[in-house]
Amino acid sequence: MTDTRIKLMVSFLLIIAITSMKHWYFPIAVSAFCIIFAHKFGILGDYSKKLVFPFVLALFILTVQGFTYGTNIINIGIIPVYEEGLEYGFLIFSRVFASASVLILLMLTTSENELLDSMRYFGIPITIIEISSFMSRYIRTFWGEGKKLKLAQESRCGFSRNAGFTKQMQNIASISGALITRAFARSEEVYRAMLSRGWKPDLKYSIDCHPLNKRDVVLGIVLSSGIIAILGFDRLVT
Amino acid sequence: MHISDGILEPKWILFWFVISAIFIALGLRIINKRIAADPAYLPRISLIGAVVFVISVWHIPVPVTGSSSHPVGTPLASIIIGPFATVVISAISLFFQAFVAHGGLTTIGANTFSMGIVGAFGGYLVYRMLKNISPLWFSAGMAGFAGSILTYLTTALELALSLNPGNVMHYWKLYSLGFIPTQLPLAFAEFAFTGYVIKYISETKSELIDAQGYGISRFTKTALALMVLIASVIFVGAYFGYINGGGNAGVDGTVETLAAPAAVSNGIGVKLMARLGEPVGFAFVGITGGLVTGYFWSGARRKS
Repeated sequence: MTDTRIKLMVSFLLIIAITSMKHWYFPIAVSAFCIIFAHKFGILGDYSKKLVFPFVLALFILTVQGFTYGTNIINIGIIPVYEEGLEYGFLIFSRVFASASVLILLMLTTSENELLDSMRYFGIPITIIEISSFMSRYIRTFWGEGKKLKLAQESRCGFSRNAGFTKQMQNIASISGALITRAFARSEEVYRAMLSRGWKPDLKYSIDCHPLNKRDVVLGIVLSSGIIAILGFDRLVT
Repeated sequence: MHISDGILEPKWILFWFVISAIFIALGLRIINKRIAADPAYLPRISLIGAVVFVISVWHIPVPVTGSSSHPVGTPLASIIIGPFATVVISAISLFFQAFVAHGGLTTIGANTFSMGIVGAFGGYLVYRMLKNISPLWFSAGMAGFAGSILTYLTTALELALSLNPGNVMHYWKLYSLGFIPTQLPLAFAEFAFTGYVIKYISETKSELIDAQGYGISRFTKTALALMVLIASVIFVGAYFGYINGGGNAGVDGTVETLAAPAAVSNGIGVKLMARLGEPVGFAFVGITGGLVTGYFWSGARRKS
């Protein structure tokens, strides 16, 4: 299993490299590799679902560029489409597709706890790590609690899904407000629990992280070199 | 709408990271001060942050389009925990959201700026301005509306700056217009959502939104209000100048003669203006310079 820190560093470098690429076929090749990996690991369904949001944004940019940017008009009859805009739009589209693929693969193969653990290694301030740890734990708790509240609300009269906009908004807002007040009350309990376990505001945490093993370092160097080589190759191609 | 990885050019990724990092550092400073004075603030801000994250990914009904979408959430958060703390919570939320393919890793800086900084500060400013002259639900609702609109205008600007640096104003307008069919109805939904939530909290646990100051000094508040006001005047003035075809004629000469008579012709300022275009360039320089100078001015004066 590869170290999370290496996975994060390599993924970040790969996304930056994809963003810098000048030819659409390199990002498309990266996307194709990601699809093969997703298929191999049996996560193709999840991978495809998560691609929908970046895909929509990429399509929006492709449309705006295609219809507005450039001078060479491709005549399709009703509206003029610009050649340069389509080329540039498709380059952006391919970059988004590839970057999102890399990120989704990273996310599907790495747990939140592993990510939070690696934050210390990257020098993230301790307050951010503490807030992130609390948030990642309580997001799940409140998500479940919110669903229970919604179910309870729907099981009572007057909370129909067919209600008008104002009524529906009032219903959602009452659940949201209830969740916020519950979070406030629970934070007092959490604070007491922290104190009973010896927590103090000036508590010093160890900043030492376990060192990277040689195999992971070598893998990181090889992958990073590969990414830089692909980027160099992209720049050399005219 | 969060910007995904692969859209922004690397130099813009870095630029937005730097701007957001300044606000995150200020936010962290305020949070740490609050934790030192009241240690229970750490779990409180984290748990409320978690709830705001949860409700901001819930789908709310959107009028007109007949569909549903999720609210921005940062105007609501800024009313409850303050705008600076909201910046930190937004950055963390965006990190988590990147891992459900909402936004991206390299665009956390840009998304934090649009959602966590402009959305939160814009919404909070509207809330504070209307709070004493209108009902609480209305001022909160307007904060939601303004925060939502400002977030999408900023996202459109970020896209225009990176994708079409040669014609920023034109593409800013185009991207903003492209967002309108979905985002304007969503802004109305955000108005209703934020208004109702704050009304509910004020009726059940009013101390949650009556907390004074959020650890921001009066000086910082005044500086921020002035910064937003001046930036708005510059933006509006520059925009009207642009649509009237004036091209900001006369600005260059005045600035060069009065402010920088010995300016280097190929210095960073000139390059910045060439890259951003003068209206946006002047606005950015004004915002950043004003914030840095204003924030550290009192400290520097005290030391001297």
